Amino acid sequence: MKNKSKFSSSIALLFRYHPEFGALAGLVLVFIIFCFTATRFLSIESIAGIVTVASELGIIAAGVTFLMITGEFDLSVGTTFGFSAMILAITAKAGIPLWIGFLLALSAAFFIGLVNGIITVKYKIPSFITTLGAMMFWRGILLAVTGGFAIRYWGTSSFLYGLNGHFLGELRTSAIWFFAIIFLLNVILVKTPYGNATYATGGNKEAARILGISVDKIKITNFIICAMLAGLAGCIQFARFHSVDPIRGTGMELEAIAAVVVGGTLMNGGYGNLIGTLFGVLLMGMVRSGLIMSGAPAYWYQAFIGIILVLAVIINTKLKGWAIK
Amino acid sequence: MKKENFLIKMTDISKRFGTVQALDKVNFTVGHKEVVGLVGDNGAGKSTLIKVLTGVYLPDQGEFYFEGKKESINSPKKARDMGIETVYQHLALIDLMSIARNFFLGREPVKKYAKVINFLDRKKINDVARQALKEIGITIRSIDEEVSVLSGGERQAIAIGRAIYFGAKLLVLDEPTAALSIKESQKVLDYVTGAKERGLSVIFITHNIYHVYSVADRFTILEHGKKVGDFNKDEVSAEDIIEVVRTGKRPV
Repeated sequence: MKNKSKFSSSIALLFRYHPEFGALAGLVLVFIIFCFTATRFLSIESIAGIVTVASELGIIAAGVTFLMITGEFDLSVGTTFGFSAMILAITAKAGIPLWIGFLLALSAAFFIGLVNGIITVKYKIPSFITTLGAMMFWRGILLAVTGGFAIRYWGTSSFLYGLNGHFLGELRTSAIWFFAIIFLLNVILVKTPYGNATYATGGNKEAARILGISVDKIKITNFIICAMLAGLAGCIQFARFHSVDPIRGTGMELEAIAAVVVGGTLMNGGYGNLIGTLFGVLLMGMVRSGLIMSGAPAYWYQAFIGIILVLAVIINTKLKGWAIK
Repeated sequence: MKKENFLIKMTDISKRFGTVQALDKVNFTVGHKEVVGLVGDNGAGKSTLIKVLTGVYLPDQGEFYFEGKKESINSPKKARDMGIETVYQHLALIDLMSIARNFFLGREPVKKYAKVINFLDRKKINDVARQALKEIGITIRSIDEEVSVLSGGERQAIAIGRAIYFGAKLLVLDEPTAALSIKESQKVLDYVTGAKERGLSVIFITHNIYHVYSVADRFTILEHGKKVGDFNKDEVSAEDIIEVVRTGKRPV
């Protein structure tokens, strides 16, 4: 650090301890670009639209972040998202009170997460495989049980309103859920012993074990947290659409992982935070809306996200390497 | 070895992995304020013995006494709670976490918030870690620095400082000087002597006989899972020990 100026070394420290910084810079850059290219990008409706889409993806991504910091993956979040939404839809249509359906939906997510966690920890196999299996298995069950048909439920209630209703004009309550969850998880991660144990487990699980941390328990718990947040996100989206089809949530697992990685969290675990994910998710939502409003066909979204993802990881890796020197 | 007053006494410890007899009725003791050099060639059973001692493996057979009391250590946490601290070469610290967080990992001081949630006591964590490391003579640039930027010697120093701070009675060092520069090795050896002066016992596992010879009081030599012998420092020279490790036989 001796051969760096005071200014550049304080910038280096900023990057080293703030994984979210790169995503924030990207967010600002993309925002500025779209302000010029997209008409009406700066309107309330446009911003609210971005936040609404980002919130549903973001609640999933929050759980994925937590789990990725623990050093594990969950590819089944998209399926869990659809599965829970479907349970809420079916129970609602059957006339069962919504809150019971909601609890059942979350219980199902809890169960999927628990099974993912136990199989991964007990048989010591990569969670990539465990959750890839889970993704196919539960999706298959979902398709088989529903026969491939969508379920609609047109009832309205304050419960659904609480999950994802309008307020202050174009904004939706899902945004409150999203920001609250990001805040809560980040506090747990950064300010509590449990967060410390989570970072340690992802950073070096053998060392953590030797230091007396119950690595397996932490992993299973975080698999459950991740799955339950995916389930919650599914219910929240159902409250917006009032319908679910059995392929709902397909591909969301990869979108969530992309947002998390853009937010600076390391794939291998042990490093990252929720604020980065917040920026990552907003960045993706902004690209989606901004492209359409700039007049580009919707297909371009995927292509752009692909580029952003790879660029973000290259930049984050370079920055971290540079900061450590 | 005359007085029956040991900090650690392990008798007839056996451990088998499949067809490999990793430990075969090994007796092992560590006295109070004693530095024991545990030496032997690769595959001699040093690591297995230490992992039994620290609760990572359960032995198939054998008894364990801590301060004269029979105990069974079934988890690393229990070993740690009893005052046995292990510093593994590559597993001492979490690279991506700060020095302060590493220092208290698994034993964080907390402040209760609203009587429910335990928050890390950041001020205490930083102050105590900085002070404790300073007392042992470890100077670091910043307590918030990530461990990945530290040298091998600095890492060992922090792990040893942590063990001393938490009141360890026995410090187990696994190859603490491997891959260290000469200067850094000497520093680590000084910490070992310092730990002994503070009343700790130390088990020093190594290939480098010259390093351990300068600080140890006694040597236990293993070979193919069996104990070749115990030697007090005044009985043998470093060359004698190397010879025993090389041939696997007691000197005649």
